[in-house]
Amino acid sequence: MSPILDREQITSNPALRMITYAVTAMLLSVVHVVFLRFIAVTSVTPDLLLILVVWIALIEGQFTGMLAGFLCGILFDVVSADVIGTNALAKTIAGFTAGYFFRDGFGAAIIGSYRFLLIVALAGFIHNLLYFFFYIQPMQVSFYSFFLTYGVATTLYTTVAAVFPMLFVNRKKDWN
Amino acid sequence: MRRFIEFVVRFKNYIALSALVVMSFSFMSFGSLSQLGGFRAVIVGSIGWIQSLFAWVPNPVALKAENTALRELNLQLSIESSRFRQAMVQNQTLRKMLELPELTEDRLIATDVIGKTTTELRNYATINRGIEDGVREGMACVTDAGLVGLVIGASPHYAVVQLLLNRDTRVAAKVYRSAVDGMIQWEGEMQLSLKNVPKTFDVQVGDLVVTSNYSLKYPANMVIGTVTDVRDETNSLFQRILVTPAVNFGTLEQMYVIDHIPDPERVALEDSIQRTLKERRTER
Repeated sequence: MSPILDREQITSNPALRMITYAVTAMLLSVVHVVFLRFIAVTSVTPDLLLILVVWIALIEGQFTGMLAGFLCGILFDVVSADVIGTNALAKTIAGFTAGYFFRDGFGAAIIGSYRFLLIVALAGFIHNLLYFFFYIQPMQVSFYSFFLTYGVATTLYTTVAAVFPMLFVNRKKDWN
Repeated sequence: MRRFIEFVVRFKNYIALSALVVMSFSFMSFGSLSQLGGFRAVIVGSIGWIQSLFAWVPNPVALKAENTALRELNLQLSIESSRFRQAMVQNQTLRKMLELPELTEDRLIATDVIGKTTTELRNYATINRGIEDGVREGMACVTDAGLVGLVIGASPHYAVVQLLLNRDTRVAAKVYRSAVDGMIQWEGEMQLSLKNVPKTFDVQVGDLVVTSNYSLKYPANMVIGTVTDVRDETNSLFQRILVTPAVNFGTLEQMYVIDHIPDPERVALEDSIQRTLKERRTER
């Protein structure tokens, strides 16, 4: 009896891949909201959805990466009770930025290397720049000090969290 | 048309980016729509339900911070509680003292004890009222419990009180119940002694001892203490009577100075008679 979810079928079928990305995004958003408080460092947590957006952008391309960023951002805005549109905007730009590094057929190779961490860091930096710019609008706080404290910290933490998918893909390459 | 389609295909990424950015800004400017609010309420409720399932999982970092904050708060509250307890005790003491002016016609000057000294079995207390407040040498001092002592020196702002627990203290006293006269002296420790009471006179344990009308220095009927022991002394005509002072000198913090000086004429007469009697004894 063949398994319902065949890995080969998922990777070769674009529709199944999109469904997988959607389910993964929903799970990650729930994980982010429910469990990440346990690994928070002075209220700073890694952005798991951003890592997914960068992953999609490197595998599928810039256009799909942008769209994934927009939809993940909307999903996260709804789940986190944030202002609708802020995460959507930031992740759209992040997906667009990560999409510049897309190379057809070399997605897994890029993700399984240190370049993935650099791309996540760059996309994260731009994402947080936009996000915190709109975040502190109602507050009377200096953007630079706030961004240096939280924006840079979130970028670094997200980059550290991206090590795990990088290692996973890297080891998969060794098995193949 | 063909060129337009080619243009769109060539720059689809940028066109899509612009469209998505405009949509994002639109969402941000709309704020919370009622329909979206309803949907969001469902999502937030579901997330909240999931969070409640895992609420029992402790967060060590947050617990540590909370523990530190609670410990500090506990310490602050303990200090405050101690202060309140002290204030409560002081409040009760002062309330009792406020009833005292009703028992005497003389003016009472309220003071605080700011120092205590002991020199060769002479106990003194320093109070924070002096000549400018109306305190004079020779004025008696009392609390709501009873007699404390006598002012023996005063400066503009301070005065020194000779306490009953002082070997120079002599107080003409009487047993309130049986009107037996005697002389209160201090012979050490925390007990007073009622002297010169013949063995045949009626004094019992528990009797109240007060200042007598014969006292030159102290107003009459001021409570001194309670009889705690009565014994017949061998080779003596008198009883040995121990009196526990009514005032707790160990915790003395406030007292009243009675604004009353003994009649100078009476003082002068009695002093001259005593001098005359001494001279006659010397001549013999």
